[in-house]
Amino acid sequence: MKPPRHQPVAVAMEGVDLSLGTGRARVHILKQVSLQIAAGEAVGLVGPSGSGKSTLLMVMAGLERPDAGRVRIAGEELGRLDEDALARFRGRAVGIVFQSFHLIPTMTALENVAVPLELAGRSDALARARHELESVGLGDRFGHYPAQLSGGEQQRVALARALAPMPALLIADEPTGNLDEATGKEIMDLLFAKRAEHKSTLVLVTHDANLVNRCGRIVRMRSGQIEEAAAPSVAVARLR
Amino acid sequence: MTAFASTPSVLAENLALALKLAVRELRGGVRGFGVFLACLALGVAAISGVGSVSRALSDGLARQGGVILGGDVALSLIHREATAAELNFMEERGRVAIVGTMRAMARAGDNNATLVELKAVDASYPLAGEIKLDPPEGLVTSLAAPVGAYGAAADPALLARLGIAAGDRIKIGDATFEITATIASEPDKLAQGIGFGPRLIVASGALRATNLLQPGSLVRWTYRVKLDDASARGLAEFVRETRRRFPDAGWEIRTRTGASPQLERNVRRFSEFLTLVGLTALLIGGVGVANAVKHYLDRKSATIATLKAMGATGGTVFSIYLAEVGLLALIGIGIGLLAGAALPFAVFYGFEALLPLPFSPSIQPGALLLALLYGTLITLAFVLWPLGRAHDVAVAALFRDRIEPPGNWPRRRYVALTVIAIAALAGLAIGVAEDRKIALIYVVASAAVFVVLRLLAAAIMAVSRRVPRPRSTTLRLALSNIYRPGALTPSVVLSLGLGLSLLVTLALIEGNLRRQLTSTLPKQAPSFFFLDIASAEAERFNAFVRGHSPTDARLDEVPMLRGRIVSLKGVPVEEIKPDPEAAWVLQSDRGITFAEDVPEGSAIVEGAWWPKDYDGPPAVSFEKRTADLLKLKVGDPIVVNVLGRNVETTIANLRRVDWENLGINFVMLFPPNTFHGAPYTLLATLTYPDGGKPDTELKLIKEIALAFPAVTTVRVKEALDAINSIVADLAVAVRAAAGITLIASILVLAGALAAGHHTRVYDAVILKTLGATRGRLVLAYGLEYAILGSITAMIATAAGAAAGAYVVKEVMHFRFVFTPSAALIAAGVSVFFTVAFGLVGTWRALGQKPASVLRNL
Repeated sequence: MKPPRHQPVAVAMEGVDLSLGTGRARVHILKQVSLQIAAGEAVGLVGPSGSGKSTLLMVMAGLERPDAGRVRIAGEELGRLDEDALARFRGRAVGIVFQSFHLIPTMTALENVAVPLELAGRSDALARARHELESVGLGDRFGHYPAQLSGGEQQRVALARALAPMPALLIADEPTGNLDEATGKEIMDLLFAKRAEHKSTLVLVTHDANLVNRCGRIVRMRSGQIEEAAAPSVAVARLR
Repeated sequence: MTAFASTPSVLAENLALALKLAVRELRGGVRGFGVFLACLALGVAAISGVGSVSRALSDGLARQGGVILGGDVALSLIHREATAAELNFMEERGRVAIVGTMRAMARAGDNNATLVELKAVDASYPLAGEIKLDPPEGLVTSLAAPVGAYGAAADPALLARLGIAAGDRIKIGDATFEITATIASEPDKLAQGIGFGPRLIVASGALRATNLLQPGSLVRWTYRVKLDDASARGLAEFVRETRRRFPDAGWEIRTRTGASPQLERNVRRFSEFLTLVGLTALLIGGVGVANAVKHYLDRKSATIATLKAMGATGGTVFSIYLAEVGLLALIGIGIGLLAGAALPFAVFYGFEALLPLPFSPSIQPGALLLALLYGTLITLAFVLWPLGRAHDVAVAALFRDRIEPPGNWPRRRYVALTVIAIAALAGLAIGVAEDRKIALIYVVASAAVFVVLRLLAAAIMAVSRRVPRPRSTTLRLALSNIYRPGALTPSVVLSLGLGLSLLVTLALIEGNLRRQLTSTLPKQAPSFFFLDIASAEAERFNAFVRGHSPTDARLDEVPMLRGRIVSLKGVPVEEIKPDPEAAWVLQSDRGITFAEDVPEGSAIVEGAWWPKDYDGPPAVSFEKRTADLLKLKVGDPIVVNVLGRNVETTIANLRRVDWENLGINFVMLFPPNTFHGAPYTLLATLTYPDGGKPDTELKLIKEIALAFPAVTTVRVKEALDAINSIVADLAVAVRAAAGITLIASILVLAGALAAGHHTRVYDAVILKTLGATRGRLVLAYGLEYAILGSITAMIATAAGAAAGAYVVKEVMHFRFVFTPSAALIAAGVSVFFTVAFGLVGTWRALGQKPASVLRNL
């Protein structure tokens, strides 16, 4: 599964194998997965529940270590990094947007966005966070706690948080799954606009055919394997 | 960015970030930390409070040292008065007040007599402090001889006991005294120790007129000196010079800096004991602290995973939550320290009038620091483990919307840190203890109880998993709740078990102590001790007592002399550092006796008893336990000074003595030839076959006092009452400390049960949806709590009984008797609180509307 030629590679996975659980509960989730994504590319990851999409995202984010195979993200060989180095790498190079937002409830919107920058030791963390929040249209919500924000606003904060460290790779796991259709569309417009602005590589897991359609390439998974990669029009037709 | 980063600047940055994020987290409130704060505050308050009060007392004793002692230095002699040379030596260096004390019988007319603590003073008394009399005429006026009698100032208790009033006359020995005043306060009372009778102060000349000062009578002469050079150096110089000039005087020397060493030591030991009880409260609180942190981190696992997804390492997460827990712990410890620091003031202003001791309330930094250290170490020992587990909260769970708790064991580094904290805690407890052996026993016992309870919890869970499934749904539900994942079993067993074990231990120790002193006074215990029976009067006394008591009453008489150990195995006693328990034997004169045969109540355990009509070199029989403490064995040489003569002797045998029957017995016993021809008095006991009745006993006291004015009668029941009232006062303090421990236990139990509330709501709702009635659920939960409570009570009672038996037998050297009432109370308390707290929480869970909960599942 290779990216278009002549572009630097953002994600390179080769022969990735991963089983989770122990004993009889052990499940072989990823089976010999190989995938390359070019820098700046937007890839939609589709497939039925349990096909291994989320696990593949976790491997890309350095949150799961494969049992076998190589993973190279933004030029970094993840297998060589110890756990702490992986955490630092994630803070620097990978932004994640979750379906359930996962904002920290005891922190304001501004603090939530500043956290990854603070963890990376950035002295301009708050200034940068302010800028990101303003750029997602929440300039008047700095001091609001997650519970005081609507679902859409929370996902905007999550998006600003993911983008604040200017990551090379942006991962979004069903980012509109918990939002109504109109808000979901707003968020996706924002996501794609910001991605373009930051020139980030995007890997998006979704069941939404409209969203997949906006990606440059679709990767379809089934039973832990990549079934095929195709242009959106073909993939979307299959999704429908 | 880890908790273990190497360079100081990185460490400082990490710390600052951890603190910043911790403070942000804390803005969410301290919900779930109520028990955490209460446990720490309570335990720290107990330890700092006990420490502060005891130090305030020690300060008071130190500041009042001169007054308690009655001078800068006191030299006391038994039997003999100071020689002219000795007195000259003292008078050249300061003002001297001479005080003679002895026990004697005071007789009021022909119908009443009682034991008094007689104190004869000269015109210089008191050199320090002030004696308060009623009427306030001054001691010299009060003691001046009225016509036909001597003046005397009496403790009001004496008037009550003899049924007389001020102005009435009493007789002591051959002298008549008129009570001219009553004593309102006596400055040097504390230095005298426990008195068996009320105080009577007379002039020295009057004491001589009683004719009680016979050779061998038990009078103590104390020479209090107010030094011209009262500086610390002057004082030390005086003591050194006294020892150098009069090496064989045989006096006990006390200075104002150690006016009442025994009392100070007892205060210290008792406060150490209470500190250990307080530490137990803190240990139990530690379980609550650990539970609170575990449940808090469980609730925070999504936040932790999010932080890790954004680049936080496991170490950073650990640092953030350690900082958070640390801040909370500081609040809890701070509250405890405030309460502890305030306690001496509260005691002083609340009970000053009732305190029999000098007391200087002040802030005691040492006591507070110790409590702070204990609080900090307990927090660390209990939170490092659950915090370490937070290191490995899986971020992957964020993608699956299901947070799996990390495994039970944290990484090795956190296990190591926990071990270090526990070791530091144990080290501190042992390091600061005066009696390290007791502290060590405490540490080992606590650790053992922890392990036993943890194993017990595991066993209960394993057994309930394996027992055949009962038919009753209710019982099945109760059983499965005991072993399910996240069951309450470990926390309930640990919190309840620790508190109850200590409660049972203390209850049994107190019960045994009381029994020892009162209720089970051995049947063969004597009713009376008679002191100072002149050997010349022995036959008449014997005949009189036999004539005035039932024929089956038993009179035992032994000769008594006073002797002082000069050296052991060639080493002068001044150079020996004895075990504190045996120090009294070397301190001053001891009663010694001689006997042809092994006395009743004694058994030879090493060496051999001397043959009849022994005529060999001086030998001595030594009491086995004291010999062991002084590291003496058969054949060791001992020099004893008796009546001014040094007797060089060797240990012929060691005796085991049954002190409990209260019969006459001595540490040192000689063959009769050793003191051939020396003057001695007799010590006698009288034992009634039926244990004695108050009216016959009181009647005999009067008759003997009239017939033998010089013989002092000590009624055993009264002496025991005096000791008992002190034990009762101490028991109040022990119960208060045990109460704090129980509160800590209940707090932790309530916390543990509350933490399980969420799971209960879920269960209750699902079961109600499936058709379970409230009654059935209440029964199932009640059964679960009752099973846990009962098993814990049984094991805690066993552990408490083992600990209590050990302390009673090995530390106090009493016979241990298990009192089932203590165990029953413990079991009752245990089951009651478990079921009550459990059901209170469950009732709330049962009240939840299924629909609202199901929507949010």
